[in-house]
Amino acid sequence: MLDEIVVSGMGSISGIGNNLDETLQSCLQMKCAIKELQHIKSIHKLPCAEVSYTDAEMKAILNIADSETATRTALMGMIATQEALNNAKITYDSKYRIAFLNGTTVGGMEKSEMYYFDFLENDKFNHYIEAHDCGACTEKIADYFGCFSYVGTPSTACSSAANAIMLGAELIRNGEVDIVVAGGSECITKFHLNGFNSLMILDKEICRPFDETRAGLNLGEGAAYIVIESSKLAEKRKIKPLCKLSGYGNACDAYHQTASSPDGDGAVIAMTNALETSGIEPKDIDYINAHGTGTPNNDESEGKAIARVFLEKIPYISSTKSITGHTTSAAGGVESVISILSLNNRFVPGNYNFKTQMSCLPFKPVSEVITNVDLKHVLSNSFGFGGNNSSLVFSKI
Amino acid sequence: MLNKPIYINGAAAISIQEPLNETVIYNPLNYSQVHVRCIDPVFKEHLNPIAARRMSLIIKRAIITARYAVKMAEIEKPDAIITGTGLGCVQDTEKFLEAMIRNKEKFLQPAFFIQSTHNTISSQIAIDLKCKAYNNTYIHRGVSFENALIDALLQLNKPKIDSALVTGNDEMTPAYFKLLQRLNYWKNSVDSSLNIVDSENSIGSFAGEGSVSLVLSKNKIKNSFATINDIKLHYNPNGIDEKFIVDFLLKNGLNTDDVSLFITGANGDFNNDLVYKKLDNLFDNNRIGHYKNICGEFYTAPAFGLYAAAICLKNNTVPKTMMLSNNNLNNINNILFYNHFQNRDHSLILLSKCIN
Repeated sequence: MLDEIVVSGMGSISGIGNNLDETLQSCLQMKCAIKELQHIKSIHKLPCAEVSYTDAEMKAILNIADSETATRTALMGMIATQEALNNAKITYDSKYRIAFLNGTTVGGMEKSEMYYFDFLENDKFNHYIEAHDCGACTEKIADYFGCFSYVGTPSTACSSAANAIMLGAELIRNGEVDIVVAGGSECITKFHLNGFNSLMILDKEICRPFDETRAGLNLGEGAAYIVIESSKLAEKRKIKPLCKLSGYGNACDAYHQTASSPDGDGAVIAMTNALETSGIEPKDIDYINAHGTGTPNNDESEGKAIARVFLEKIPYISSTKSITGHTTSAAGGVESVISILSLNNRFVPGNYNFKTQMSCLPFKPVSEVITNVDLKHVLSNSFGFGGNNSSLVFSKI
Repeated sequence: MLNKPIYINGAAAISIQEPLNETVIYNPLNYSQVHVRCIDPVFKEHLNPIAARRMSLIIKRAIITARYAVKMAEIEKPDAIITGTGLGCVQDTEKFLEAMIRNKEKFLQPAFFIQSTHNTISSQIAIDLKCKAYNNTYIHRGVSFENALIDALLQLNKPKIDSALVTGNDEMTPAYFKLLQRLNYWKNSVDSSLNIVDSENSIGSFAGEGSVSLVLSKNKIKNSFATINDIKLHYNPNGIDEKFIVDFLLKNGLNTDDVSLFITGANGDFNNDLVYKKLDNLFDNNRIGHYKNICGEFYTAPAFGLYAAAICLKNNTVPKTMMLSNNNLNNINNILFYNHFQNRDHSLILLSKCIN
């Protein structure tokens, strides 16, 4: 019998809220944060969901000197980690072995894209060179707290945070660490904005996941982490857990670097494995927080995969990327937090901006928030470039 | 950490030494440059030319070493594919970044962006091996490979996972070499790369690159290289002490006398090597080894180090180029492999000879 892994705290910052309370309110009101770009100067007029704080505001909140080298990804990560640690009642002088697993892909790219030619030609911005790699970002966040004896940086593009959570559960089950703070952080960069744009998968309007007329995704940014530990330790620490992390699955679509297989083979395996490790049946899942990017390819492939796995009873389904934008590497964290909020606050988030059902799917997403509903098991999907598909199951205790 | 020892059944490397050749550690090439690129195999002998045209260099290398290691391990496909990479497909990242800046966000082709994400390596290997199994990627500076390795071993603790392909891949492009040069990663010049560890007390090392694939398995085969018995990753920006190493050995029922060889990540950089020298009391010089003089310094160099360690255990002999004492070492049972990055990230791996 595997040790039971519980979620003992969480923290989140994204376009829809700078903390858990704001995140919950935005979900309940289905408040979409996708609008014109504020913090990034780009020639493209593409709507995005940015965190409202400027870097300077975040530094002030964190009490970090303005002169200190810190990327936006690291600053958002610190704010969400701080909330998660407080939420789980973990002090910075904790005697436990605590791991920090931070999924990210762009790392310090927002500074590299500003100073790249300086990097090559002069010494002016050398302090940002070392901030470029993703591990540096993870360590920057970890060092702010000083309580982590294990750090790691999973990077599987848009499923990075979900994979961080899975690794965390394994590290606990195998006795390597006691407590894990896992999730991801990613700020919008011109690099991936232009990258997604060159792939022609960004919608110039507000995105419409699972809608027949969907035309692409909107980028978002944010950082979110959950704190996990064994139920025994939570009991010993006298923490009332938020829920169980009852299962998880990871599989590779092994089909194409940026497209999903037509029938979502990788997604089917990931969801099936997640259900299997949870010891529950597909019919037991009450709500799926879908990957649901809003691209024609993802939503068709994921939708078909969901239909294959949940043929008996299709659960409530929605994509909260319709209000948060696609927070890429942080998405698995942001959406885990939303999934857990919905479990504990008895609601199903709505899929904003939905009008027309997709003709190839036997279901439509939840278009308005449903409240006063008992949810026992919620599945959260995160699928990345390269077919890196991961699914997590959170269950009520 | 492990339920039982795990066998290394396949191992392949493309490095600054002769590619895909297990004997390279016994007669390595000596360089007098600070930036050495890989000696690549003839790609058309290994890859379909049409498919290869679309692949960047690092992907070609990764796919070739992965195939080699999988074949050597006598399996069709692994139950998990996990890659460690410090910088991912940095050549493509640079191309997209440069084009974006120069063209002010206009006329961008998606090809370089598609290949730029770090997880391209693991997913391209999966596509090549038609393997839908567990797939993951870790990027964590000088311990990226160990991040991947610990995940592979965690997966192998599960009943359904019998084998895992774990790879370390990095390329050192001229631009990234230059960036790291600004941060004093490299010496101004090198006379003899093989002697870099004990040559001089100066800052910096010499740059290499590489692709290493290892297949780990629960099952022993005739050609198993060695076993991995335990791994520990530890983060402490203030460094570690002797106790960290002694405790790890004790947990495995060993003491320092049981260690035939202590392999370090010494690379000729004064500050880097000082961290290892502080552990001098634990092991005498004729039991201390290193490998970065053979493969050069890059974020996933420890993958090459583990590859070299596995070969030493299989052949029961360590070449003098890998020894601090400069004498060959024979009859080795246990190897303790310690690596640190900037004295912040620390990793220990315990390997043993296969018992027949």
